[in-house]
Amino acid sequence: MSATRDLSLGDEVPQQPARAKRKRARRLDWKGALIPWLFLAPALVIFTWFKFYPMASGLTMAFYDVQFYGESQWVGLDNFARAFSDPDLRAAVGHTLTYVIVSTLTASTLAFFLALVLEGQARHLRIIRTAIFLPAITSAAVIAEIWRILFNSAPYGVVNSVLDQLGIAPQGFLTDPGQALWVLVLMQVWKSTPYDMVIFVAGLVGINRELYDAANVDGASRLRMLWHVTLPGIIPSISVVIMLSFIRGFRVFAEVYATTGGGPAGSTETIMTHIYKAGFQNLEYGYASAVSLLLLAATIVLTLIQTLVKARLSR
Amino acid sequence: MLKKMTTHLLAGAMLLAATGAASAETLKVWSRQTDESALILKTLTDAFTAKTGIKVESYNTGTDFEQRLARAAAARDLPDVVINDDIALGQMLKMGIIEEVDPSKIEGNDQIVPAAWNSAKAANGKIYSVPISAQAFALFVRKDWREKLGLPQPKTWDDLHKLAEAFTKNDPDGNGKADTFGLSVPASTVRGYASWYMSNFIWAAGGNFVKQEKGGFKPDLESKPVAAALGFMRSLFCEGLVQPGAINATTGDALPTFRSGQTGIFLSGPYHIAVLDEQPGKDKIEVLPPPAGPGGVAALAEGTSAYIMTGTKARTAAEKFIGYLISPEGQEIGMGEGTGHTPLVRLPTNKAVDVNAVRKDARWETFKEVFDKSGHYVPPVPNWTPIRMLTAEGFNKILASCSSDIPAELKAIDQQMAEELRKQKALAE
Repeated sequence: MSATRDLSLGDEVPQQPARAKRKRARRLDWKGALIPWLFLAPALVIFTWFKFYPMASGLTMAFYDVQFYGESQWVGLDNFARAFSDPDLRAAVGHTLTYVIVSTLTASTLAFFLALVLEGQARHLRIIRTAIFLPAITSAAVIAEIWRILFNSAPYGVVNSVLDQLGIAPQGFLTDPGQALWVLVLMQVWKSTPYDMVIFVAGLVGINRELYDAANVDGASRLRMLWHVTLPGIIPSISVVIMLSFIRGFRVFAEVYATTGGGPAGSTETIMTHIYKAGFQNLEYGYASAVSLLLLAATIVLTLIQTLVKARLSR
Repeated sequence: MLKKMTTHLLAGAMLLAATGAASAETLKVWSRQTDESALILKTLTDAFTAKTGIKVESYNTGTDFEQRLARAAAARDLPDVVINDDIALGQMLKMGIIEEVDPSKIEGNDQIVPAAWNSAKAANGKIYSVPISAQAFALFVRKDWREKLGLPQPKTWDDLHKLAEAFTKNDPDGNGKADTFGLSVPASTVRGYASWYMSNFIWAAGGNFVKQEKGGFKPDLESKPVAAALGFMRSLFCEGLVQPGAINATTGDALPTFRSGQTGIFLSGPYHIAVLDEQPGKDKIEVLPPPAGPGGVAALAEGTSAYIMTGTKARTAAEKFIGYLISPEGQEIGMGEGTGHTPLVRLPTNKAVDVNAVRKDARWETFKEVFDKSGHYVPPVPNWTPIRMLTAEGFNKILASCSSDIPAELKAIDQQMAEELRKQKALAE
């Protein structure tokens, strides 16, 4: 008995510090888990109060006929039903899709080739890259004003003067319902190409040089190398570029509002300008919120599809 | 412990009550005007405080006014009095943020021009505001250009077309370049500018937006006069006699083209006299009645009204302040004569105030004459804002394309308008 007791005592002597250590470790674990959250807490509290809560309450508005002083009326899915039957919204979706798809494809293709040309560490390349990047960091309102001046429909407008030199008659540009959307697409291409280019440049750096060497040894042509080495290597970059460009494109507002306000003849009305007019000019918050919710849903779905496609491609 | 807490709570509640009572003595007034008018509002409120001892906290902005009101309403922190366009009545009533006004409680209510009260009434016949200012559109013309080209003052649409053509083609500024245009037009859909501007021409053509019938209103745009009005304006667009970019322009975009000497004709309200006297200059401009269309001379009449906001704790003070706004003294301060600022009161609504005696400016007399003889208020539908927005979209569409089918487009606008009127329960079926 005593022996066992001794034994057990003897056993316990070395055990004691181990258990304490484990206990301390557990306490440390717990602490370790808590500490990042504590550091995050101020940001989380602020985000919850100023971002998540307003977003959630904004989304609930979609189900109400929002009254500003009295009680808002619950209308169920009425606002959504209206969204699906609204011909103006349908037209706006059409314009937005054209805008997003054409500008994304054009800008990313241009950006890809620009990146190929401007990749590298040489000083002059860095200077050129910075210069090209400027449109991407200029405010949309400023760019809009510059484009309004450039594409002034008067014969003495900057672009019209150039066209005149080429023997082309002055164009309406932003005042012509058939051209306005395309001028805005061009503006978006000009603005986002450099942005996309930077992402591609970063992607190109990450491609293993040995693959090029191997392809070279195998006698692959330049085009083949581009197709079999470069493109597969930058799929993550392509994915990022397309996703960002889609999200940016669907939310386009300032560029349109500051140049055409959705005109002429509603030819540049986009989803966001439609929401803005419904919400802030007609003060129909419920309807505007419903359309916003649909836009959010569409963006999420697109992002998911894009992620799936990317996963399949890079397999 | 509990006792101590109760005392603290009580003290806190008392403090709150005290501040509540104190704030009731301060009147909060918001005004939707250009920034310059803020100084005139300040002079007004200072004079009111000196007279009554009621303090006034005033806030003036020309941008996003309705959105700010919506936010204030959501926060249950509305001002006591709002000075806003008379046209905003329907929308503010729908938002549930204004209270009915009992004119008998407002001192001097019997001094207001009877016609002005029409714009203060809601569709249900109840009065929700007090008109403090009125105005109508007239034509600003570059007198120096017109005289240089030896053309008469435009009296008809034909004259207007000829003058616009001459201003565009005959180099009125003599710089040897084809860089001038006839009219400065705001035809954007933003805030409904295209509809607001075109209404002048629609009424001058003898047309109407809606017909008032038993039980409500009936859309009435699909008509020969309205088609004529839009056809006339579209011809100015298609012949290049309006400023470039007019189709996307708001007044904020249109005004600078007239000020800088790019355009020579500008149809606008008297609030622009002050800025146009500065540039292009008082000696260079003249104010003329709008030229007569097929249906005669007509101009959009508008007003500014004072509203009492829902939930105000200072109703008596608010009524006193509005009484002061319409008193001869308040109206004269609001007119801001000699200050060079955009006036808060354009044409006085108090009949005892003589605009000529205060202004000593024949141009103001022209505006008054147009208002008295040819002013048209927008139809008294419950909420004009959505109708202004949708008609602006439709008119913009017509003006944007030289091959647009005007009657078909007008028919389409009528259908949309019918839908909106039905929503407002104001459609005559």
